[in-house]
Amino acid sequence: MVPTLKGRWLTRILLFLWVGVPITFLFSLYVAGPRSPVLPYIGWHYDILPFQILSLILLVGLVMDPIYFYAQQFRWERDWPFAYFFFFSIVEFVIVLALVWWGVLDFTRPRSQLHTSENYLLFTIHFGCVFLLSFISVLGLIQIFMIRWRFKSGEWGRM
Amino acid sequence: MIRFPILLDIYQRGDGPLKRVERISLPEIGDYSIGRASENQIVLDTPEVSKRHAWLLLREDGIAVADRGSTNHTYIGDAEVDQSPWDGALPVRIAQFEIHLVAQSAIGETRVNVPQDNATRALASGSAGAPAAAPRGQSIEVALNAPNAPDEMRFPRNVFKSEIVSSTEIKASEYFAGESTYLSVGAGLGSFVWADHLRIFGVAKSDIRAIGDDVIPYANYQRLCRNSQIPPHERLRSNSQSTPDNIWGFPGYASRETWKDLKEFRFGGLKHIFQVFGEASLAQTFTPRSGEVFKSIDKEAQRIGWREMFVSGRVLGIRKTNDERYAVAFRVPEDQARGGLRERIMIGKFLHISTGYPATRFTEDLQAFKARFPEEARVFNAYENHEVVYRSIEQNPMPATVVVRGRGIVASRIIQRLYEARSKNKNITIVHQMRNPIAKNEGYRYKRAQRYVYNHIENQAFNWPKACWGGQLLRETERASPEERVKIYEALGGTTTADRRDWRNIIQLGVGDGWYKPVFGHFETLELVKTDQGPKIQMRLKPQRNQPPVEVVADFVLDCTGLIGDITHSPLLRDLAETYKLLRTLGVGGGKPGGISVTPDFEIAGLRNGSGRAYAAGQITLGGPQPGVDTFLGMQYSALRSVDHMAVLGAPNVSLFGPLRSFSQWIKWCTNAKP
Repeated sequence: MVPTLKGRWLTRILLFLWVGVPITFLFSLYVAGPRSPVLPYIGWHYDILPFQILSLILLVGLVMDPIYFYAQQFRWERDWPFAYFFFFSIVEFVIVLALVWWGVLDFTRPRSQLHTSENYLLFTIHFGCVFLLSFISVLGLIQIFMIRWRFKSGEWGRM
Repeated sequence: MIRFPILLDIYQRGDGPLKRVERISLPEIGDYSIGRASENQIVLDTPEVSKRHAWLLLREDGIAVADRGSTNHTYIGDAEVDQSPWDGALPVRIAQFEIHLVAQSAIGETRVNVPQDNATRALASGSAGAPAAAPRGQSIEVALNAPNAPDEMRFPRNVFKSEIVSSTEIKASEYFAGESTYLSVGAGLGSFVWADHLRIFGVAKSDIRAIGDDVIPYANYQRLCRNSQIPPHERLRSNSQSTPDNIWGFPGYASRETWKDLKEFRFGGLKHIFQVFGEASLAQTFTPRSGEVFKSIDKEAQRIGWREMFVSGRVLGIRKTNDERYAVAFRVPEDQARGGLRERIMIGKFLHISTGYPATRFTEDLQAFKARFPEEARVFNAYENHEVVYRSIEQNPMPATVVVRGRGIVASRIIQRLYEARSKNKNITIVHQMRNPIAKNEGYRYKRAQRYVYNHIENQAFNWPKACWGGQLLRETERASPEERVKIYEALGGTTTADRRDWRNIIQLGVGDGWYKPVFGHFETLELVKTDQGPKIQMRLKPQRNQPPVEVVADFVLDCTGLIGDITHSPLLRDLAETYKLLRTLGVGGGKPGGISVTPDFEIAGLRNGSGRAYAAGQITLGGPQPGVDTFLGMQYSALRSVDHMAVLGAPNVSLFGPLRSFSQWIKWCTNAKP
């Protein structure tokens, strides 16, 4: 990838809408159900928690992007290898977990309901699904639909 | 100014070295025709020469060569020419003949051999001097007849009399060969990728035409690959997602290669995916095999109906028409003549020009050497066919020294090929001549980053930094003024090679064993010397930085300094640029102007004709908004820009290509269905 800062932000928002929101919606339905780690729960219940996590992932990413972009300036090719994308996505998630543990989401519900090991496992599975599909999207899925994306430094729209 | 008489040596290539068959003398200004038929002034009577093959145009201020639509074409050096000035540095090649200009300063010396009356006799009898080589098995006749009056009315000048031509007149003329909404000139990879985009965006194949020499869009590229020692199994310097056969760039060549391997249970194929994943930092950059790329283009050509869009011919001229279109004059091959007429004109509404590199380059000292010793096949451009070099050094276990000039990717590949030759002849020495040494910390700098140097060669995966094809560097060059752009190109450009482990190892091995020697500087003298082992080239290197002078005695010199991008070497583009006063891009280093100036949409602004639009792509747009124009990905980018531009203008059947159409067309690509 050869993103600009704007391209990084726009691609992140695109992945949030295109991959994150649909997957998180499915997780929301599950999290709201009986607290059993055994899938599936079928029923109409809804919990905002996975969306809060997804939003945190987006926010952390948006804040990290200028740092990546700055680091990119020291690379002669001004590129960002897929391997970096992979590695730093995991770093971002670790930051999100740390923030949750530290208590950024404590205002949403009692600590005892939030800080359960089952929840942390769910966050990780949730992130794993979103990340995997996002990574595949960046590798090629996006450009099948948005042919100009790869030439526009990750920005959307026409030339 | 040239001095008359002009002396020409005609050489013939048989199985062995070149042999001089004739020296002829042309006494005055005029147009001299060359061909097989006896009515020509210079008769070269072998079947490979067309009846009316070429013109040699002698003017007060210089000589020019013009092909007359011959079957086997006319060349200056290795470059095929249609019409081109000829300075005599490289010979004119016609079939197995080479015509050398006897150096003007050398005429005085040769007068003894060719007295004045001999030249006069030549005009009268059609022969001068005694043939030096007896033809084997076929009649070879070189003859000189009296010149014709200069022909001012040659096609297409007889039709293209003004800057804007009448389309009704053309349609009424015998030359008219049809109309097409979309018309591409060149029919090489640039045209192919453009036509591919148009087809996928919704245009029918009946509305697209591409005029060029060869129905295989990669024919010229493949020839350059072969000559520069990239056979089908060798890898190109191109990225996985630079796919001239697939406008989306997905799946790239890496995943296709992996898939092919996995289908045959070769799990090692997964490494290509890993290469793309970790490229540059964790793994060596993936590059596709040339053969695989050509196969993929064949398949796509079949899918979009390239054969039906292709028109065989050599484009000679382009003019605006009075109905907001463009007229393209061309000459078809002999076998497509209609009642002896081979000249054609096609009219198009949206024009696309992508004619590629006009010529191969020879550095001046090598040019001079070739001109002085035309019989010695010892100096080659790496893009020329030079198999004879490898044959000769591999067959003889004698010591052989090969000078490789230049530090680009071609030089790297040639050194690898010479290394392979060493498995047959351990006495091969490589002298690698470079302009100057480059220390590790002396790589090019641009803003905060610096290019990596290894073995005095700057390393870079591709011919520009990656962000030049769709990253922040492309943004910068697109937005820059022409003056700023030159500065960016000067900082980012320069000769580089790819960081390949095998190449590094070869150099390391060669330095250790002493058969690879880098030398720095310019050669001051090149002389032919006779040695016990036959003739060799003796070179003295102009010393650098108080170093002692270096002398090299070599068997062969391979010039790897590249191709000529100067568009004035192309008669078609020169005429176009002069007629419409087209803007040119600024040359790097304050040098000559570069390519044809185009907008970020790759439109040639100066050729706009009412609602008619003309676009360019490829090498001829060098120095413009996009750096890597002469690459697969660069051509995909320029095609997408120009086709998108036409879509916005409302060009017939070009869709805006939103996500749904894009996806459905991609499915068609995957299933090999017609677009």
